[in-house]
Amino acid sequence: MPAKRHAASTASAPAPSTPVTLSSGPATLKSNSSVVDIATHVWQQYISNTPQRTLLLDAFMAFLVLVGGLQFLYCVLAGNYPFNAFLSGFSAAVGQFVLTASLRMQTSESSSAASKPSSKGKNARFADEETEGGISPERAFADYIFGSLILHFFCINFIN
Amino acid sequence: MRWCLALLICALVAAVNALSSSGSRLLVVLDDTTEKSSYSTLWSDLEGRGYDLSFESPKSDQLSLFAHGERAYDHLLILPPKSKGLGPALTPKHILDFLNKDGNIVLALSGKSSTSSAISSLLLELDVHLSNDRSAVVIDHFNYDTLSAAEKHDVLLLQRPNALRTDVKAFFDGEGVLALPRVAPQTLGSDSQLLAPILKAPTTAYAYNPKEEMPSPDDIESTGSQLNVVSAIQARNSARFTVLGSVEALEDKWFSASVKAPNGKKVPTVNREFAKQLTGWTFKETGVLKVGKIEHHLATDGEVAAEDLNPKIYRIKNETVFNIEVSEYVYDKWVPFEVPGDDKLQLEFTMLSPFHRLALQPTSRTETSAVYSTQFVTPDQHGIFSFRVNYKRPFLTNIEEKHEVTVRHFAHDEYPRSWAISGGWVWIAGLWSVIGGFLAFVVVWLYSAPTADKAKKTQ
Amino acid sequence: MAKSSLDLLLKGSSGQNTRGLLRIVILLTIAAAAVASRLFSVIRFESIIHEFDPWFNFRATKYLVENGFYSFWDWFDDRTWHPLGRVTGGTLYPGLMVTSGVIYHILRFLTIPVDIRNVCVLLAPGFSGLTALAMYLLTCEMSTSPSAGLLAAAFMGITPGYISRSVAGSYDNEAIAIFLLVFTFYLWIKAVKNGSIMWGALAALFYGYMVSAWGGYVFITNLIPLHVFVLLCMGRYSSRTYIAYTTWYALGTLGSMQIPFVGFLPIRNSDHMAALGVFGLLQLVAFAEFVRGFLPGKQFQKLLTSMVLLTFGLGFAGLVLLTVSGVIAPWSGRFYSLWDTGYAKIHIPIIASVSEHQPTAWPAFFFDLNFLIWLFPAGVFLCFQKLKDEHVFVIIYAVLSSYFAGVMVRLMLTLTPVVCVAAALALSAVLDHFLVLSKPSPESQAKANAVDAKSYQGMKSPIVGIYSHFSKAFVSGSMTLYLLIFVAHCTWVTSNAYSSPSVVLASRAPDGSQMIIDDYREAYYWLRQNTPDNAKIMSWWDYGYQIGGMADRPTLVDNNTWNNTHIATVGKAMSSREEVSYPILRQHDVDYVLVVFGGLLGYSGDDLNKFLWMVRIAEGIWPDEVKERDFFTARGEYRVDEEATPTMKNSLMYKMSYYNYQSLFPSGQAVDRVRGVRLPAESPQLNTLEEAFTSENWIIRIFKVKDLDNLGREHSNAVAFDKGLKRKRASKERALAF
Repeated sequence: MPAKRHAASTASAPAPSTPVTLSSGPATLKSNSSVVDIATHVWQQYISNTPQRTLLLDAFMAFLVLVGGLQFLYCVLAGNYPFNAFLSGFSAAVGQFVLTASLRMQTSESSSAASKPSSKGKNARFADEETEGGISPERAFADYIFGSLILHFFCINFIN
Repeated sequence: MRWCLALLICALVAAVNALSSSGSRLLVVLDDTTEKSSYSTLWSDLEGRGYDLSFESPKSDQLSLFAHGERAYDHLLILPPKSKGLGPALTPKHILDFLNKDGNIVLALSGKSSTSSAISSLLLELDVHLSNDRSAVVIDHFNYDTLSAAEKHDVLLLQRPNALRTDVKAFFDGEGVLALPRVAPQTLGSDSQLLAPILKAPTTAYAYNPKEEMPSPDDIESTGSQLNVVSAIQARNSARFTVLGSVEALEDKWFSASVKAPNGKKVPTVNREFAKQLTGWTFKETGVLKVGKIEHHLATDGEVAAEDLNPKIYRIKNETVFNIEVSEYVYDKWVPFEVPGDDKLQLEFTMLSPFHRLALQPTSRTETSAVYSTQFVTPDQHGIFSFRVNYKRPFLTNIEEKHEVTVRHFAHDEYPRSWAISGGWVWIAGLWSVIGGFLAFVVVWLYSAPTADKAKKTQ
Repeated sequence: MAKSSLDLLLKGSSGQNTRGLLRIVILLTIAAAAVASRLFSVIRFESIIHEFDPWFNFRATKYLVENGFYSFWDWFDDRTWHPLGRVTGGTLYPGLMVTSGVIYHILRFLTIPVDIRNVCVLLAPGFSGLTALAMYLLTCEMSTSPSAGLLAAAFMGITPGYISRSVAGSYDNEAIAIFLLVFTFYLWIKAVKNGSIMWGALAALFYGYMVSAWGGYVFITNLIPLHVFVLLCMGRYSSRTYIAYTTWYALGTLGSMQIPFVGFLPIRNSDHMAALGVFGLLQLVAFAEFVRGFLPGKQFQKLLTSMVLLTFGLGFAGLVLLTVSGVIAPWSGRFYSLWDTGYAKIHIPIIASVSEHQPTAWPAFFFDLNFLIWLFPAGVFLCFQKLKDEHVFVIIYAVLSSYFAGVMVRLMLTLTPVVCVAAALALSAVLDHFLVLSKPSPESQAKANAVDAKSYQGMKSPIVGIYSHFSKAFVSGSMTLYLLIFVAHCTWVTSNAYSSPSVVLASRAPDGSQMIIDDYREAYYWLRQNTPDNAKIMSWWDYGYQIGGMADRPTLVDNNTWNNTHIATVGKAMSSREEVSYPILRQHDVDYVLVVFGGLLGYSGDDLNKFLWMVRIAEGIWPDEVKERDFFTARGEYRVDEEATPTMKNSLMYKMSYYNYQSLFPSGQAVDRVRGVRLPAESPQLNTLEEAFTSENWIIRIFKVKDLDNLGREHSNAVAFDKGLKRKRASKERALAF
């Protein structure tokens, strides 16, 4: 998803003294020169901690990133002549990605609520105030299907 | 509407057996009924062409150009009155109203007596100017009749005029010499498109009042071909008004006279033929154009169905065909109209300004009409356009046709579909791969559900 | 939606049951009151479409009902903007028409014979009832106290700020848009609270509906990202926010792009960029959160900082580049005028000339909102106290819309909902504290007092104590009094200020009886019955929609001000001399010119009072030919009397307005009652136009454009000849000089 990475928060950015040169956002999963160990650490953590079903989700998301990225690349290289077609093709990928990400959050949150209760760090105070996630994986999945169907309908309509 | 009118006129023409295309009631305004006899050849010629003549004196109480708000006559022939003015029934306003209501007028002037101020102001409204000295006549020392005006040189001898320009039809041409005694000259305003000179004075002519001394060259206002002997005004409604400088030219005497120019032979005049041409033109026997049917439709192969004819709405970039049928009236019948050699009948497709200006080509002809047509592509601009044919030439009645049509934009389903554009295939593939991936994912997810539950429990 | 949440309320013990039932009854009553109070105009006048824009909407709806949806979509309207036409189907917000079309067909299907006009007239009141319900739902999300929701619904139902745009007959986009606005916000709050895709998707759907209904959707487009952004800045990121926002954005943007008029705007226009930016930001934050789960703090910070710096730089550069290169459209003019009130006046007179785009006068706030306006800050303060996600939303909404409402009169409409919410929160807090609170046990009293004192500093004196019957009675009594005054005020405002259709005017005769002035319709029906079907009418654009709707004749310009040049052309024709105007009129095929003249009746909204706008707009396009300065006297006054400038006196508008007006008065006594001046004794001369129609009270005057003179004369000469004047000799000399 290189397209979306062009806005940033100014909120929680305590600047450390050592400037780190990092290649790019999505490439963090691959090995990098100076932060290699961090990245590999993350990767290993991820592999070991993620349940199989979430892995499935991640695979699907990676697929979507691939599809979206390819389309964007093609658009940059070959032009966007039927603009509506490009938009609907690309935003279908993006939309599906965020929906899947949402699903991932909901399912992994509720399933891993016991193991990692305070993954929210400083948000914990507010997280505690709220009652609970309140959404079962089944409900989340149904919502997901609902959202996706709307998305697909819009996209197909838009591409005509 | 136009059709009905045309039919009505045709029916009318047939019924009264008149030759003019616009009615046969002709009023002759004569000052003195005794004068009538000196023009008897003219009257009989006119009656022979089917006119229904009535004679009135300008002083007459019965004289009225209008009855119940409509024209009482179709044409008007005014001979110069001896008295001052034309009386209460023929004020300039009445005469202009008569013109505005499609009546045709021949106004004859005479150099023998001074022209009344009423006529002068009437002509002024039409941008025709008489000489400041209202008794002035045209004199030419090179083209005069040696037999009748050996001393005064005030009987002009002229050839009949040729076409005004190469793109204008000639209606008054022919062989022979015209004799025009004692012409009251006219000059035409320069900026009016409605005026046309029929017969100009020769370049050697000038105007002055013979009763006075010879004027100095500075006092001569205009000379030569600036002076008009016969002028025509055709109003926007195609009503015609002709000013004839010499009423005597219509007299029997000059119809049959023989004249001799300096260094010339003695020849008979052709005044009678010219009078026929002049009255015939003015009273709409010649130079009358009629537009028959106008058709426009989308260009198709083969016949166009009736319901597809003259649609109200086109789309941008439509291939469109336009046809117009034009006839010309020549003395007693409608014939196909042929555009003079250098001229073109043009179609404009306009919205505010012309987007297309195309020459119409003659494509077919019937017994009475010629069909002109052209084919073009509507511009890439939506809006309310009009097909306009605006053909205004001297001596021909005006064609001013304007047909509004709407040119709309592409409807939503008239753009090429995404799959019709090869560039769009990539995105379509992308979209369907997402949807396919989604379906596959859902299936896999549902299958993996029990194991996931177990995984959850074990965690 | 209302039903399901009400069902929830009905569950439980019988006490709750009764309460729930009561609540439904109250809500229904509120909705009924909301509808009923909007029917003043129908009762006072008749079932008629009001004002200007509604006439277009009405006409479009009729077209939709007659020709079906697809031809409505492709509608090319050749009866407006002659001769350009308007791609109407692609340049309007179809939500309103489609809504009423659907209602019409449903009623037809149910075999209820109903006229489409009545559907249109009653649509706004109907939706205002729904707005009250949506308001209830929204406020219930904000407060635990049920009374807040009911109060908010009641406020929303009758507050004049909303009634002004939703009386019966005011068939405008805002009629349904406010309902959609409130309901979208409700769904959004729901989505943020629950973190559910479904609520997010529903919010997106209603957002799409909103987009199809009103251009003000941009407000939502910016408000929701701002809410999310502020939440992020406050360090309140959670997966719920992510889910709600990304779902809403992805679906809502795609949904909004389905509307032909909006098209690619959401990714092209700067107005929409904030939403896209926040979307990208949220992805980053989510990713960062995700990574943080696996990392110790120190390394994570390192990673985050570099990432943030990099993407921020890239994103900003990209945005600037795109804006400069023109891929992303610059901010639209209306938007600029939101920030700089002087902007429109200088650059876009056409926007500034609309009265609804003027800055709001301060009394208008009180006029439209009455005592809610001072409960409003209290409500916002209460929100600060709780400061959950949804309260943050209310605060942002309140701040933004207060500003906007101050800039543009018509954005008062977006302020109204949040004022109702905040006021209801405040009022319900007060009432709950005073009425419901029972006297606490002595041991907890001290504690409670301390708490109360903290939260209501300055609102009441701690000495009296809030538990005494006196203070309860006093406060609740005064509140009731205020509420009653509010109701009275609303009723008064509605019936007097907002129920006039402005097509039909009402005035009082000296003896107090009511007079109906129906000049507009008189003139429009004259046009309808006495002119050919395609006679082109030129008028100032204000009346374009009405002429199209009531007279059914093509117009040159109308209230959809999409083509500034065309409007300026009309302005030029109106403000120039006849000799200049006549070719313009001929070129545009104008058959009739319509002007509104209030001089006889003292009707101040006439064309001469708008004239300077015409001049300014024309000057914007032809600065050399039309100059505003020429219409002012040497002392800088705008005058129409004897001392008016020659430019003014020769302008077509002046001539048309006062043509023959002097003949109504004894010589030299002609008075213009709007501008309160005595007019010159001589009536202006019109050569190229002739008077065709003047309505009973002279409000509408219609002039026919003469054809070219049959004999090729100048019109002035022809007119002079008809009057019996001799032509001047001079013209002859001139002609002969050639």
